[in-house]
Amino acid sequence: MTMAMVETETHKGFIDVRNMGVTFGANDSKVVAVESVSLNVQPGEFVSLIGPSGCGKSTLLSIVAGFVKPTLGEARLDGKAITKPGSDRGVVFQQYSLFPWLSVRKNVEFGLKMAGVEQSKRNTTARALLDLAGLLSFENHYPDQLSGGMKQRIGIVRALATSPQVLLMDEPFGALDTQTRVVMQEILTNIWQQFKISVLFITHDIEESIFLSDRIYVMTARPGRIKAEIKVPLPRPRRAEMTDTPEFMNLVQELKGLIREESLAAMAPEIKDRGLSGFGMKVGPKGVGEIF
Amino acid sequence: MGSLASAKIVALPMVDKYSDAEPAVAAVKPAAVEISAAETAASANAPVAASDLPVPEPEVVPTVSLTRVFRSLLARITRDRIITAALACISIGALFLFWYLGTRYRLEFYIRFKNVPTPYEVYQQLTQVGLSNKYLVNIAISVRRILLGFFIAMAIGVPLGLAIGKYQRVRDLFMPVVEILRPIPAIAWVPMSIMLWPNNEASIVFITFIGAFFPILLNTIHGVHSLDGVLIRAARCLGASEFRLFLNVILPGSLPHIFTGLAVGMGVAWVSLIAAEMISGQFGVGYFTWEAYSLVDYPAIVLGMITIGFLGLACSGIIRMVGSLLMPWLAFAPGGKR
Repeated sequence: MTMAMVETETHKGFIDVRNMGVTFGANDSKVVAVESVSLNVQPGEFVSLIGPSGCGKSTLLSIVAGFVKPTLGEARLDGKAITKPGSDRGVVFQQYSLFPWLSVRKNVEFGLKMAGVEQSKRNTTARALLDLAGLLSFENHYPDQLSGGMKQRIGIVRALATSPQVLLMDEPFGALDTQTRVVMQEILTNIWQQFKISVLFITHDIEESIFLSDRIYVMTARPGRIKAEIKVPLPRPRRAEMTDTPEFMNLVQELKGLIREESLAAMAPEIKDRGLSGFGMKVGPKGVGEIF
Repeated sequence: MGSLASAKIVALPMVDKYSDAEPAVAAVKPAAVEISAAETAASANAPVAASDLPVPEPEVVPTVSLTRVFRSLLARITRDRIITAALACISIGALFLFWYLGTRYRLEFYIRFKNVPTPYEVYQQLTQVGLSNKYLVNIAISVRRILLGFFIAMAIGVPLGLAIGKYQRVRDLFMPVVEILRPIPAIAWVPMSIMLWPNNEASIVFITFIGAFFPILLNTIHGVHSLDGVLIRAARCLGASEFRLFLNVILPGSLPHIFTGLAVGMGVAWVSLIAAEMISGQFGVGYFTWEAYSLVDYPAIVLGMITIGFLGLACSGIIRMVGSLLMPWLAFAPGGKR
């Protein structure tokens, strides 16, 4: 029944970011985190944002979530400027963000409670969502009794409970081990297909971004800009076996090339100063790439 | 510590029961399917035999495993408890033994047991004085002072601590005063308190309040600060207004630290109360003890001391018990025993 509720709103959930710039600090300590970034997520589309660490991809997500105000430009959801956090955007964090004092079910109910939904209705919705996540039998457990993968699954359905138009995910599987990660990715694609919701997904994992997304934005090293936009033509539903197909491999290669350049660019100053000079290597301003 | 540890022990079978219940249900399910299948088949063949046969089968499987689980748990718990109780007896017994031997042989080895009453004398004192009105009234008055001072400290300290922890401007406004007043021990407030308050009772309650207030306030502030920021962001995303954020996230999130503050505050409140009663008092356990000293009634001194010890123990025990009732999740928190 929750699914039907969401399905009527499939035309909504359009994220539009235009000429976004973010600067932290002032004067001497000024750091340009993000520079003239424009991107969009179409209603019902799964879009990943990938880039080297420190490139400002999490900052971008924080802006769309409403935690951070951009220095330049603006982010819009369905034409409305985003100014503060709200339940029209579900957010899944990299850190486990379940409330440890609430049972699993109460965690999922939290957004509905804030919206003033009555107890019996909250209960039904939460149980339906927990069933979807395969965790109904844990509804009365506390988060500290669960594994990392379980916590993140609950984090996802908790974000979905208020029927948001978009789901913003900030490296949600970053803290999980590889096996759990792969399973979580499949679960996420399943949930996404059922809810037909727009997703903006931040990751630094290339395979993950290809497996999940319709479209991928690659960001440059700081200051973060959009370096490339790549469409993923793989058919839906995605299956774990697809990662072995040549199409998938080619995409991985392409993205690896793009990311590698940026990772090296991001690391260059440190490598030059410390890492390699100690071994008697000479690292020129643009010569880092040759060494690797 | 005892009550929290026991909460953990109580909670343990719950976990086992849940994780155990799943396979048990799964095991029962196919059996139930078999029953219905058997019954539909039986309706054509032999109805009497079919209804008799499947009944014992699903019954037996779960009961055996559950009793085994419970039995092993029971064994573990009682063994744990026996050891705990034995060690408790040893530690208290050693104290009494030392006391008994010291008084029995009148030890004179730098510390002097010459005037120290024997355990039996104190026991006699308890049976005589212990049932007297005077003694019980003194206890009741001390407890009332503690409760008044402590609850006022809690009622002011917790909300103020939450506000100071959350809002920079409230912090800027209150913290300078707090930092100046905090190092002044409650006992140093005795003369000022007598001047300030219209009667003796109010001034003693005030000193108790001062003792409890700062630990509660500072721990509450610390609780807000140590709250993981991602929880606040998560709550905001889920549509929590400022007020609801306080009620549903900041308060429960700081609760463990608040209870630490309450436990410490209760301890300091007792220290302050007894000192205040000894210096300026009429009535109260502290007064009882000091009066016994002035009247050279040695057994009564020890009785007063033991009474204070038990009252303090009871008060902090109640706080811990309320804490573990209000915060059942702590039993599962990483490093859960605290």
